[in-house]
Formats: sequence, C-alpha cells, structure tokens
Amino acid sequence: MIYSPFPMRVVSKRAEAPGVNTLKLEFVKEEDHEFFKQNYKTGMFGLYGIFGEGESTFCVASPETRKDYIECTFRQSGRVTSTLANVDAGDIVTFRGPYGNRFPIEQFEGKNLLFIAGGIALPPTRSVIWSCLDQREKYKDVTIVYGARTVADLVYKDELDEWKKRDDVRLVLTVDPGGETPDWQDHVGFVPTVLEQAAPSPENTIAVLCGPPIMIKFTLVALQKLGFTAENVYTTLENRMKCGVGKCGRCNVGSVYICKEGPVFTAAEVQAMPQADL
Amino acid sequence: MGIQEQYRSEAAALLSSGEVKLVIGFGEGSTADRRRPLFARTPEEAQKFVLDAACIANLSTYLVTEGLLSDGKKVAVFLKPDGIRSVNILISEAQLKPDQVVILGYAIDKAEITALEGRNISDFSLGEEIRSHTPPPHILQEAERIEEMNPAERFEFWKAHFSKCIKCYACRQVCPMCYCRRCIVDVNQPQWVSTSSHTLGNFEWNIVRAFHLAGRCAACGACDRACPVNIPLRLVNYRMGKEVIDAFDYCAGENSSQKPVLASFKQDDPETFIL
Amino acid sequence: MTRILLRNKLDDCIAAWQKAGFSVFAPVRQHEMSSFGEVQKASDMAFDLVLPERTIKDHFFPQTEPLIKYKIGKQQIDSETMTPPDRKRVFFGVRPCDASGLAIDDPLFGWDYKDDYWFRRRDNSVIVTIVCTEADDFCMCTSVKLSPESDKGADVMLRPLANGAGWQVEAVSERGTALLETIPSLLQENSEPTAPVPQVAEKFDLEKVMEWLASKENFESQFWKDISLRCVGCGSCTFLCPTCHCFDIQDEGDTYAGIRRKNWDSCSFSLFTMHTSGHNPRNTQSTRWRQRIMHKFNYYRGKFGVNSCSGCGRCTRQCPVDMGITETLQAISNLPR
Ligand SMILES: Cc1cc2nc3c(=O)[nH]c(=O)nc-3n(C[C@H](O)[C@H](O)[C@H](O)COP(=O)(O)OP(=O)(O)OC[C@H]3O[C@@H](n4cnc5c(N)ncnc54)[C@H](O)[C@@H]3O)c2cc1C
Ligand code: SF4
Ligand code: SF4
Ligand code: SF4
Ligand code: SF4
Ligand code: FES
Repeated sequence: MIYSPFPMRVVSKRAEAPGVNTLKLEFVKEEDHEFFKQNYKTGMFGLYGIFGEGESTFCVASPETRKDYIECTFRQSGRVTSTLANVDAGDIVTFRGPYGNRFPIEQFEGKNLLFIAGGIALPPTRSVIWSCLDQREKYKDVTIVYGARTVADLVYKDELDEWKKRDDVRLVLTVDPGGETPDWQDHVGFVPTVLEQAAPSPENTIAVLCGPPIMIKFTLVALQKLGFTAENVYTTLENRMKCGVGKCGRCNVGSVYICKEGPVFTAAEVQAMPQADL
Repeated sequence: MGIQEQYRSEAAALLSSGEVKLVIGFGEGSTADRRRPLFARTPEEAQKFVLDAACIANLSTYLVTEGLLSDGKKVAVFLKPDGIRSVNILISEAQLKPDQVVILGYAIDKAEITALEGRNISDFSLGEEIRSHTPPPHILQEAERIEEMNPAERFEFWKAHFSKCIKCYACRQVCPMCYCRRCIVDVNQPQWVSTSSHTLGNFEWNIVRAFHLAGRCAACGACDRACPVNIPLRLVNYRMGKEVIDAFDYCAGENSSQKPVLASFKQDDPETFIL
Repeated sequence: MTRILLRNKLDDCIAAWQKAGFSVFAPVRQHEMSSFGEVQKASDMAFDLVLPERTIKDHFFPQTEPLIKYKIGKQQIDSETMTPPDRKRVFFGVRPCDASGLAIDDPLFGWDYKDDYWFRRRDNSVIVTIVCTEADDFCMCTSVKLSPESDKGADVMLRPLANGAGWQVEAVSERGTALLETIPSLLQENSEPTAPVPQVAEKFDLEKVMEWLASKENFESQFWKDISLRCVGCGSCTFLCPTCHCFDIQDEGDTYAGIRRKNWDSCSFSLFTMHTSGHNPRNTQSTRWRQRIMHKFNYYRGKFGVNSCSGCGRCTRQCPVDMGITETLQAISNLPR
C-alpha cells in the first residue's frame, strides 16, 4: 500500500561531523530489496522513518552502482532526525522510496564532470560521484570541489582521502575563512571563490552543484563567469515533504512538485521557477 | 451626520494628518447582510467604511498581526465594547502599547448604533458594564440547560459537538487572545497535543484552548461565529469566565492595568485546588 | 417517456439497496451541522439544503485516516498496514458540485502512485446526484464552467419533478446502470415535467482569470498582498472545500504503540511549508493565499487538465472574514488590461 514503508536493519552508524551521521541500512525482506534494485537511480530520495516519530526526507547517498544497501547522511535537526541519530546497529528503521527523478548520468558519458558541494550537501553529490567513478572509463576528467564551514564539518573524510589519492580525480577541498585547523593543507575560502581559482574548463563539461541556497546562488554566478551554461549545470532542490509521491501538496515551487518532478533539476529549470517560492 | 459619516471623516483625518498609518474598519461584504474587515491607508479608502448594526466582528484581532505595530506607528480601529475589552486584556498582557491604538468606539443595541466617546484606551471604563454583562438570552438558556445536565449527559453533549471539530483552527485564528506565534498544538518536540482530528484529539484541543482562555476571554463570540461546524464555543468560554469571577473575583478586561489573573495572586485567593 | 422515482418509494429504495449490500448515505442534519451521514429511511434525509455545510469529500478522504498501526517492543517493531473499509456505499442526493469535486481529485490521487485509501472508497461507491432547484448567493458553479445540472462525477443523476413528487432518473455511468438494476420495480415510466434549474450568474470571466494567473510577472504583483490582508490563515476554506486534498502524515501514540495517520492539512497554515531550519518559502499569508489560488486555477490545470474548484462556494460561505475564492477571482477578472 502506498504509504507503507519497508523495514530496514541498521548495519552501521558512522559519525561524520558534529550532529551529522551516516546510516547504512539493509533490507529485511528480499522482495523489498528486489524492488529497490529495480528502481533506484542516482539522485533519488526516500523517506526514512522510525515508528512513533515519523518520517524524514533524505537523498539516497549511496550510488546506483552499489545497491546491496542504502546509505543516508543527515543532520540532526528536528524530531525524526534526533531519534534516527540515536539508533544502533541491529535496530529496525523504515524506508519508503526510492522516489523522485535522477541525474541522467548516461547523458554525461564522454564528458568531463565537475562536482561542487557545500557542507552537508555532499551526500546527493556523493551518490552521483560514486555512480560515475564506479564506471570511470565512461567519463573524461573528474573534478570535485567541496567546501565546509570548518574542517570538522567535512563529511565522508575517508572518501575524501581516497579521492585525493586517486590520480584520475582532481579534488579541491576548502573551508570557510576561520574554519581551518593549524595543519590544514588545502584551500581556505568560500566555494565560489575557490571554484573560480580552480577554473575548470566549461568545454564539454557537466557540473553537478548541491548545497545550501545561498551557496548555490553565488556558485551559479561563478559558473556563469567560467562559461558554463545553465543547461549544463545540475542541482537538487529541497522543500518540506510528507508524502513524497505528489499527493500531500506542500513541496511545490510554482507548478513544479519537487517530489515527483525533482529533486534533480538543471539550473535553467530552477531559474524558470518562481524564485519567491524557493 | 450619522455615525458612519462621522467615523469616515474622522478616519480620513487621522490618515491625512499622518497620526495613524492605518485604519481598520468594516466595508461592504459579499452579500447585503455581510460586513468584512477593511483596511484603509489613505483618506480615499476611508470613504469606503461602513458602520451599521451588521458590524459585529471583533477587529482587535488584527492588532496582534505579526509586525503590524513593530514600527511604533499608530493604528486606528473600529471597536465595540467587547473589542475594547480585548484591547485592555492585550495591554495588560503586554501585547500592545496603549498609545499605539486609536479607538473608534461604537455600540450596537438591537438595530441602533451609537458612537462611544473617547479615543484612547484609558478613556473607556468598562468595569461595571462587562462584569454584569450576560450573554444573549439564547446562550444563557443553553448554558443553564447544560448546567442542569448530569455529568454523563454533559459529556455526551460535548462529545457530539467536539467530534465535529475539524481542527481548522478558525477559532484560534480569529481570537485576539490567541496571539502566540507558535501555538502549543504546533509544537512537535515534544508533541503535546495530537494533531489528528478524531474525537479524543478534538477534546484535547478544545480543552487546551478553553484553559488557555480562562480569565482572558473577552466574550466577543468571534470563535463561536467562526467555527464552520457550529460548535457552541461561547458556552465553553462563558463558563470558564464565570468560574474565574467566582473563584478570584476577577473579570478580564475591565481595565488595562489589571494583572493577568493566572499570573498574579492575592492573599485571600481560594486554595481549593491545592491538595 | 423517462423513468421516475417517487419520493414515497424512497424507503423501499433504501431497503432494496441495503439488501443489495449497500450502505446508504445522504445529507443529514445532526448536532447543528449538516453533512453526509448514513441513513436508514427517507425521513433521516435533509432535502431542504442548498448544500450541506460539510462536503462529501469527508467520506473519501476523511479528516484523519489511520495508515499503519505499530507496536514498539524491546526486540522489534511490529507494524500493520490499515486498509480503509471496502463496504459498498450509495451516496444519495449529492449536489453536482460535490460530485464534480470527487472527479476533479481522481487524477491527483492516481498520479503515478495510486492512493489506495481514496480509490478503495471511490471504487465501492455509487454517486446519485440531484440536480439543483435552488442556488444561494455563494454558488458559483457556472463561473467555473460547470452547472447545476452537470453530470460530472455522477453515476446516476436525478432531476426533481416540478410537482415535487419525485425525480426523473437517469444512469450516467455503468456503475449507475447497475445500481438502478437493483430497484427496477421502484422506477416507473412517466413524462411528468421536471422543475426548472436555477439561473446561476457567472461571477467572473474564467478565461481572463486563467490568463492573468498564467502570466509570470503577476506572481509578484502587489495584488496578492492587498487582496489577502484580512485573511486570518485558518484552514476552514480548505477543509470545507470538496477539492482540497492536502494532508500531513503524523505518528501518534505512546512509547509502546500507536498509529501513523494521514491528517488534513492546509496551504493556509504557516507551518505547512516550514523547513526544520526555520526557512519558510511561503512565510506570509499573501504568499499562502497566492498558492491557494494558483494551485486551484493554474498548477492543477497544468497537470491534470482541470481546475481544482467545482464552484460550490463554501470557501466564501463560511469564511470568518468574508473572503473566499470568488472575491479574488472577481477582482482579477475586473483588473484593467
Ligand atoms: C529531496 C530532499 C533530500 C534531502 N536530503 C537530505 C539529506 O541527505 N540529509 C539531510 O540531512 N537532510 C536532507 N533533507 C532535509 C531533511 O529532510 C530535513 O532536514 C528533515 O526532514 C528534518 O526532519 P526532522 O524530522 O528531524 O525535523 P522536524 O522539524 O521534527 O520535522 C517535521 C517534519 O517536517 C518535515 N520537514 C521539515 N523540514 C524539512 C525539509 N527541509 N525538507 C523536507 N522535509 C522537511 C519532515 O518530513 C518531518 O516529517 C532533504 C530534503 C529533501 C526534500
Ligand atoms: S473553529 Fe471549530 S472546527 Fe475549527 S478548530 Fe475551532 S472548534 Fe474545531
Ligand atoms: S480565506 Fe477565510 S477561511 Fe480561508 S484561510 Fe483566510 S480567513 Fe480562513
Ligand atoms: S474553492 Fe471554494 S468554490 Fe471552489 S470547490 Fe473549493 S470551496 Fe467550493
Ligand atoms: S488550495 Fe491549498 S490546501 Fe487546497 S489543494 Fe491546493 S494547495 Fe492544497
Ligand atoms: S511531498 Fe507530498 S506532494 Fe510532494
């Protein structure tokens, strides 16, 4: 039935940053898992829940190339996330989805990829990054620009190290001024500035950009300066959601239902929406 | 000059002299017998004001609109005695500054409408009038009928009514005393009151609201009129108000220097509730 | 010659439908409120209403609906999906606007993901409408291009006879034909004239309204702020609307057990779109009112080819501050261009 979630077993919990955790979940029932395997594509989201508290929307942070499990990374903020942050391995939570649209990564084949993420918004980006890196041969140059407020706020630290070591990935890390530690080796500065300095070529390049609204706004300007067209920049939108399936009526920006027609949009599509509704 | 014309020109004068930034009154409604709140910012708009016996709404509720008075400027508002009483309560609860409100007072007696003297809240003394105020006969009758019921019958009466509630919160939204920016029912950490609108949840909501209005209700009947499913909310508030008069000799809104009853105490307060 | 059902056969008719396994619902007056309720006999019905205060929507999309029952144990959590009752129902005496409301909402509840809670009820219900003989100041069906004799959403349509003795009967869907087959002996051939249908004047120019709403520059127009000033942001115009369909999902119970519920929610409420961070895309009443109008007369049409309003007029009829859809659309329609 439509609003009934899948039970999920918590495999592990990893603290990423202050107030940010990653849960790795596996399906309790084989048929649920089958359904997920058939339907999940990178960019999609789900409603993660715990009975007694409710459900919360997070993207599926694991890539479409690894469908044995689901990972989600979330910031502890309200009622549901506070409870989810306190689960342990072996506990049962729920998942409803996968919902929404996806990053059309087969259209990215043969192109250079530029991933830009700010703060806690690395999870959706990370799902596309791994979906592409797991089929590395299909894409040309891969650049990842990632920034957080402070060093402590960087998430997926192990993976950042791994990307840093790979010679087929260019990783540009930055923290906001004042957020660096004494032994910080990478950039200090806001994402848009650091991006402009790194100056990736817009030639045959697709950009994937996720982050808080303010960062998106300024990064889009930077991308434009670098010569990217809005059609070649992909991003995700977040609005409050309840049903996830186009019924409950709250997630729309203008006529666009983020849960059904999103969360993935090109910057051109976002610019065409009534900005006041964002 | 009738009171309508008198107040139109007074409102226009207040606006053109810049003494107030806004006048809240009544305009024509969608049918011949309806009047609707009208906001005038210019002397021309003030010419649209209507004032007659159909102007029964308590417009003081707009005075607590978020941000309305934060610039320190003044607002004028058409008020009946129940609206003036609301302003007294709002002032005593520190929600309004007395000198920010210009009152265009009027009273309705059957089809007769008269202007009230005074423009500042301190010009009005309501004391005797509201303490001895009784609700209209049909409500009083209904109140007495309920009083005579045994507890089981009374429970059935309220159950029949509260199970109709749809939690539209119209009663809260039109009420000048329901000014909390985040109502207790909208708090979800923890969820004090269930948001579902089933009989139990409706009881919870209506009881919570009744308690929060005990000794604060201005008896304007706005909630009762607003309720789209016709729950006789006035009966609830009338009973609570009576309780407070009997127990604490306190009648909300008599003047603006009262201390809120539940935020103050007197040596001789009854302590029947302390076990 | 057409078939008619006489008023004095209504008790037999109800009995026949009950025998055929249907529960019968009709407009009733209870505890100072009119709504659709289950009836046993004709005298339970309130026929004198232009329109009941509550809509028929209540019986397809109830104000609170249990979705899942759960038990929280030490070792595990048990949950059980709750399905709505699938009993067969006849709704008798529905007004054309309320019936249209159901038809208007069908595509939304069926949009890719089928809402079983809605459709299980829809599929087991037969809608018998009665053409209006009376309209009040608030009725506006014709303004949204429906009419007091529209058969949209109806399975059987009844036209009151001029002499008041009964109704001319017409099946307008297969389900309706099947329902009439349960009462063949109660219908008779007759050519009595039917009562005149009321003239409901068009209150605004719908084409003009839709054109204005579709124009991007009007989204930020001062118009929205001015028109919504007195709205107090309650949910009553949406909750009493036969086409409003927004909801919340909430878990409710104690530490050990509870129920996940689907509860009515409204775009008029300030918390409707508020993010946990405190950011609220629609943080003023005027942006919320704009959403309501835009959703009904622009977005919904764009997705499902129909406006989300059946013209019942309830939003104005019961608004505590005498607002409602009509005034806004009239104002748009009268804007100079
Ligand atoms: C498509 C999408 C993907 C997201 N991905 C992530 C992610 O990967 N990691 C992450 O940390 N956060 C993500 N968010 C934001 C996240 O959903 C909210 O921060 C979260 O729901 C807060 O829930 P809560 O129950 O703790 O808060 P409460 O305030 O207790 O929530 C009450 C209800 O409001 C809803 N709600 C409140 N704020 C939001 C919001 N911003 N978005 C959606 N629903 C909201 C929730 O559904 C919840 O049921 C995403 C949001 C969307 C729409
Ligand atoms: S106005 Fe009536 S229906 Fe609405 S919440 Fe109040 S009591 Fe309930
Ligand atoms: S228009 Fe009227 S009924 Fe609707 S939200 Fe505003 S005040 Fe409430
Ligand atoms: S918007 Fe108003 S007139 Fe239209 S269907 Fe809803 S309540 Fe009726
Ligand atoms: S008008 Fe508002 S409450 Fe009604 S269906 Fe549209 S968005 Fe939902
Ligand atoms: S989340 Fe319910 S409609 Fe989009």
